[in-house]
Amino acid sequence: MDKVVKLTKIFLKNSFSNMDERMGISTKSKNKILIYGILFLYFAGLIIFLGYNLLDGLIAIHQETVFVGMILFMIFGLAIVQTIFSSINILYFTKDNEYILPLPLKPYQIILARTNVMLIAEYAIIFLLGFIPLIMYGILTGAGMVYYITMVFAVILIPILPVLLISIIVMVIMSFAKLTKNRNRFQLFATLLVFAVIIAISISTSGMKQDLTNEEMAQMLVQANGMIELVKGYIPTVDYLMEALTTNSLFIAIIEVFKTLGITIVGFILYMIIAQKIYFKGLVGNLFGGGASSSNKKINQRKYKNSKLYKSYVGKEFKNMARNPVFLMQCLIPAILIPIIMVVVVYAGLNSDGMGLEQITQMLQQMPTNTFIIACVILGVIQFFTMFIYISITAISRDGENAVFIKYIPVPLYKQYMYKIIPNIIMNIVTIIITLGMAQYILHLPIVTVIALFIVATIMGLLQSIAMLIIDLKRPKLNWDSEYAVAKQNLNLIFPMLLGMVNIVIIIGAAWLFKDIHVYLGLAILGILFIVATVIANKYLYDKQYVLADKIL
Amino acid sequence: MIEIKNVSKAYVKGKKSVDGLNLEIKNGEIFGFLGPNGAGKTTTIRMITGILNIDEGDILIDGKSIKKEPLEAKKNFGFVPDSPDMFLKLKGIEYLMFMADVYDVPQNKRKEKIEELTKKFEIYNQLNNQIQSYSHGMRQKIVICGALLSEPKNWILDEPMTGLDPKSSYDLKEMMREHAKSGKTVFFSTHILEVAEKLCDRVGIINKGKLVFVGTFEEMKQKFKEEASLEELFLEITEK
Repeated sequence: MDKVVKLTKIFLKNSFSNMDERMGISTKSKNKILIYGILFLYFAGLIIFLGYNLLDGLIAIHQETVFVGMILFMIFGLAIVQTIFSSINILYFTKDNEYILPLPLKPYQIILARTNVMLIAEYAIIFLLGFIPLIMYGILTGAGMVYYITMVFAVILIPILPVLLISIIVMVIMSFAKLTKNRNRFQLFATLLVFAVIIAISISTSGMKQDLTNEEMAQMLVQANGMIELVKGYIPTVDYLMEALTTNSLFIAIIEVFKTLGITIVGFILYMIIAQKIYFKGLVGNLFGGGASSSNKKINQRKYKNSKLYKSYVGKEFKNMARNPVFLMQCLIPAILIPIIMVVVVYAGLNSDGMGLEQITQMLQQMPTNTFIIACVILGVIQFFTMFIYISITAISRDGENAVFIKYIPVPLYKQYMYKIIPNIIMNIVTIIITLGMAQYILHLPIVTVIALFIVATIMGLLQSIAMLIIDLKRPKLNWDSEYAVAKQNLNLIFPMLLGMVNIVIIIGAAWLFKDIHVYLGLAILGILFIVATVIANKYLYDKQYVLADKIL
Repeated sequence: MIEIKNVSKAYVKGKKSVDGLNLEIKNGEIFGFLGPNGAGKTTTIRMITGILNIDEGDILIDGKSIKKEPLEAKKNFGFVPDSPDMFLKLKGIEYLMFMADVYDVPQNKRKEKIEELTKKFEIYNQLNNQIQSYSHGMRQKIVICGALLSEPKNWILDEPMTGLDPKSSYDLKEMMREHAKSGKTVFFSTHILEVAEKLCDRVGIINKGKLVFVGTFEEMKQKFKEEASLEELFLEITEK
């Protein structure tokens, strides 16, 4: 058991120190504590605020026990979603697998240590999302000592079964299939699933009203309760722990916790038996069986055709993103999906007030639409959508250690920088066209206004593309072993949002300052402003093209 | 021809990683660059190829300064870096065509050159696959093919034999010999002393940033111990 603890520590240290580096967090412990402390306080505050509002409402109508059920289900659901994303990486894609496998360790020791890592990662989040609301529940309902002790057991026990279940499913999939192919497919599928769930939730909740009367809320609670009752039949641990947390009897609480503990132990034994049989089969087969299969497909003669360098370079950038699921989901897809999701969510929200699209359109068309304020709203919305396009901010980092390539080929650096931002500009334009298309469908704006909006928005996109490339050049993340380090766990990704926020403030400021100005004049002023900023950013990039590449080593 | 003129580089102020390096690799010569880990080999190669800025001195590739005319200088060499994990999401053929576009390889030469190189390295049948599916050795081969596609006059190779199977290693050495025979230059770093001994016309040994020996193996033997093995000579020079 001592070896399992040591192994767990090593795995954890490895993954957390990598994460710090990826996030750009300093290794100095004081700074680290400060940054984690701020992050913790921020999220804890948010959870307390949201949880308090909900719980307060429920206490007012004496339905507070529903809150416990919701939190327990949330922990269970969260553990499932988290494990879907983390298990494949923790079990199969950590580099240390190659070093650990040859060591004289027993299979169960490795599996236990890996499972511990997954669970600890789970507890870090569940501590925030589970403990805090449950403690709040205890305080507001004046619960006794039994509740708090049971609560600790509940938070510790609930995530275990979902983690084990999802891990086994992943191991089964992996033992049958080739790793490299499935990693991509698995991650792509999981991410698309999350998007689909977001859209489905938006649509399904579109029937909900914002201002509920007590009667309506009671009715909804009956439905929520019914849902919990229905689902908990399939998840006995949640059922038992709900009972344990809401009872006043110490005896019942102990019995229910023991029942949960019993089921979890049985589940764990089954997990260990199955995992020992299939985990290593998938892992070893995939680690060492990655040779390329010979393909005798004749090379198409067209593939030998000359191409202009910019086409070839930009094509290479697009291929690199499109063929990599993480980059595809973080860099390319948001440009198309975010405006669509947002519109679905907003439309669903409006629809909940009993308004159909036609009515919304009619209502909007009765207002004067060809005004500077409306144009500013559209520009603000476009800017909001394009903040989530991470092509430019990762343009250098995506190449990893291979980024030095740009320094030894005979192509001027500035030219290469331009090629690298073209995909960002193109995807910005895609977002602009989708958003303007939807705005035009609803508002029926004059075509000249649409064109003017398109031009100003494209200039904003150009500014974003250049500015973000400069940031990536100044703070490149080149030493990574997983694409997540660049496209997700990267502090640089804050910068597109910061710039977007600044632009939105400028747009709001302009709308406020020149609210009665003619729409074209207003757009011209904004256009000139963004052109000036773009020219300055571009001049900086051109003048400092060699100095900026100094960090690429 | 590669001329390294009094080149120095310090990553930390006051501590030079390469100190006053002077070297001339003539046309028609295979030059091996040797040295222990951390001696300054990679730093030197990075300065020659323009990846690192030079603090003092200059490097000329066929008379073009990498400092003052970087683009012209870069057109004169083909570079094989030490890590072949490049553009893994591209197919082999896409990578080679990209390199052909970067180095302006004429249309009529592309097909012939790609087929010649990839058939020689036995990766022609893999060109339609993504590079990420290649083994380490195959990745090394495709990077070498990419660097040699434009028929550069000067080859600069950082540990080119790593990961190559015996046949590919033999083929590459043969190609290096042919290249030098036609009056062009090969500059490569290696840890494999036997390769350097059999292949190189001259070697340079760098230690702690300073060039401690330049010459042929015969000269090395004459200067140090006549009877000593290559390994012993290397240790003698670098541990002095």
